[in-house]
Amino acid sequence: MKTASERYAALVRLVESRTVTRASVPLLLPAGPYFDLAGEEFGRNLLLTTTNNGVEYCLRADFTLPIAQQYIEDGLIGVPSAFTYLGPIFRQENSTPVELEQAGLELLGQPDADNALDQVLTFARWALAIYDITAPNVRLGGVGLFEAFLEAANIPLAWRSRIRHRFGHPEALERLMERLANPEERNDGPAPDSRDTVIEIVTDAMLSGGLSLIGSRTPEEIADRYLEKQALESAPIPSETVALLQDYLSVAESAEAALDRISAMCKEAGFDFDEPLYQVRNHAAALQALSPGADVIFDASFSPRLDYYTGIVFEMTGAFGEVLASGGEYDRMLERLGADEPVKASGCALWVDRLEREASQ
Amino acid sequence: MSVLPGGLTLAVPSKGRLEELTRKSFSSSRLTIARPGGARSYIGSIKNQPQVTVRFYPAAEIARELILGGVDIGVTGSDLIHEASENGEENVLFVRGLGFGEANVVVAIPDSWIDVQQMTDLADVASDFRARHGRWLRVATKYVNLTRRHFAKYGIAEYRIVESAGATESAPAAGTADLIVDITSTGSTLAANQLRVLDDGLIMKSEANLIVSRTADWTPLRKAQLEALLSIMGGVPPGISTLL
Repeated sequence: MKTASERYAALVRLVESRTVTRASVPLLLPAGPYFDLAGEEFGRNLLLTTTNNGVEYCLRADFTLPIAQQYIEDGLIGVPSAFTYLGPIFRQENSTPVELEQAGLELLGQPDADNALDQVLTFARWALAIYDITAPNVRLGGVGLFEAFLEAANIPLAWRSRIRHRFGHPEALERLMERLANPEERNDGPAPDSRDTVIEIVTDAMLSGGLSLIGSRTPEEIADRYLEKQALESAPIPSETVALLQDYLSVAESAEAALDRISAMCKEAGFDFDEPLYQVRNHAAALQALSPGADVIFDASFSPRLDYYTGIVFEMTGAFGEVLASGGEYDRMLERLGADEPVKASGCALWVDRLEREASQ
Repeated sequence: MSVLPGGLTLAVPSKGRLEELTRKSFSSSRLTIARPGGARSYIGSIKNQPQVTVRFYPAAEIARELILGGVDIGVTGSDLIHEASENGEENVLFVRGLGFGEANVVVAIPDSWIDVQQMTDLADVASDFRARHGRWLRVATKYVNLTRRHFAKYGIAEYRIVESAGATESAPAAGTADLIVDITSTGSTLAANQLRVLDDGLIMKSEANLIVSRTADWTPLRKAQLEALLSIMGGVPPGISTLL
């Protein structure tokens, strides 16, 4: 029987293994980048402190962001790198400060993204094994797959981005689906206005409201969206397509069956979707091979809320239903942080306190 | 927490119309609030109720003190309780509305945004705002918590809050924010600034409330004193203290 400190020592060995660099990240970080990357919704969980001149700092709320930022600052873009980390992070939940131990892996700029993701999954698997968790519940989601699906199902571009932006937010997505399923009555008002007329009306309204025409939304932008809305309302997505979208989003079962079902529904709808599914199949199979006892579910509507995730995402839960490990591919993150070019990125975070609870139950 | 074993602390807004109307409301129940030092004093009493200490605080501070249990009873806007802390309402008991200080907390946008009627429109605008303008959509408000909760409910994550202490309605014209979340009673200030409330932009209706702290240290004696005070005020069924 291993003790808690032996398990922790084993985790340290994993984090310090020879093929990776253990990152050292300050406890106190500028808060700006967290807000810039993740917005107010994540920002409300930060523990903030302010200098006398009003600059906000926060206690380290995760490792991924500062590691990625350091990678950019050190001029490493394009250099394949593997960083690990282990240490406390600080957040607030319901106005109560919490300190949690987190470990994880970040693979940045790896030439073979599929291989990198499999390494991430393997890392998570090993970490769980230290805590004697050999058959976790694994939930896989496909952010890239959903984007590919919207395109393949031939959903109009303007609707596509509206749907994509709500992915990972079940309530908002459901409301949008309802709106799609029951399109508003087409208002048979006067014929659509010309773009120039609308721009003129908006410009007048902005000027009389004392608004700058360039500081915020521009008259052109408002007019274009107004006309786009008119066009979308008069040309709703066909009801079969909405039904297909709903079917797709409701898929959540063991990975192989789930992916077969998606493949079948696409064939029935008249398009072939096997190519995009292939990659997800491979990773699901790799995961299953790593932990034969694990229950690997593919959940088509599963996605983290943060919009820098791009490919496959996953989470592993234990006996108590708590998330023990989560991660995936987030190729958009480094660009968001100021990299000049897209950088392949994948990684995972492990909740050490929860792992220990599982092991000592 | 009260210093004496018994005794209640009542927090009353320290200035303006809210103070005036609170004191009027108490005196209509024959509870006359005395403020011996005038507007510059922060402690007072109620005639014939020696067990009650009156403290004068700014309304937002009353909300915080009620949540933390620093005062036992207070008068403040319900909006401020919801704003003071994410789980503020769990820590207090709303005894009753007092019929003044009515106002709505709303999401308001420039009237010229003719393509935006609902929160879902705002979600669309927020989602690609950064790609278009190189910065987040900015919301000016002093209601940081209420805004975060309301926006989260509509799946809007892509924005930043600009904290505004006063004259929030001028933020869009001043260029410091794109839209606002603010309190309005008649809507005239919004209209004067050519701002428009979204169809589903009502975050909450607020009014001045008589509020009891759940987190204060409620001994049997103090509960009895609370019941006695509330029964003088009237309009409150007996037995409130059993909920504490």
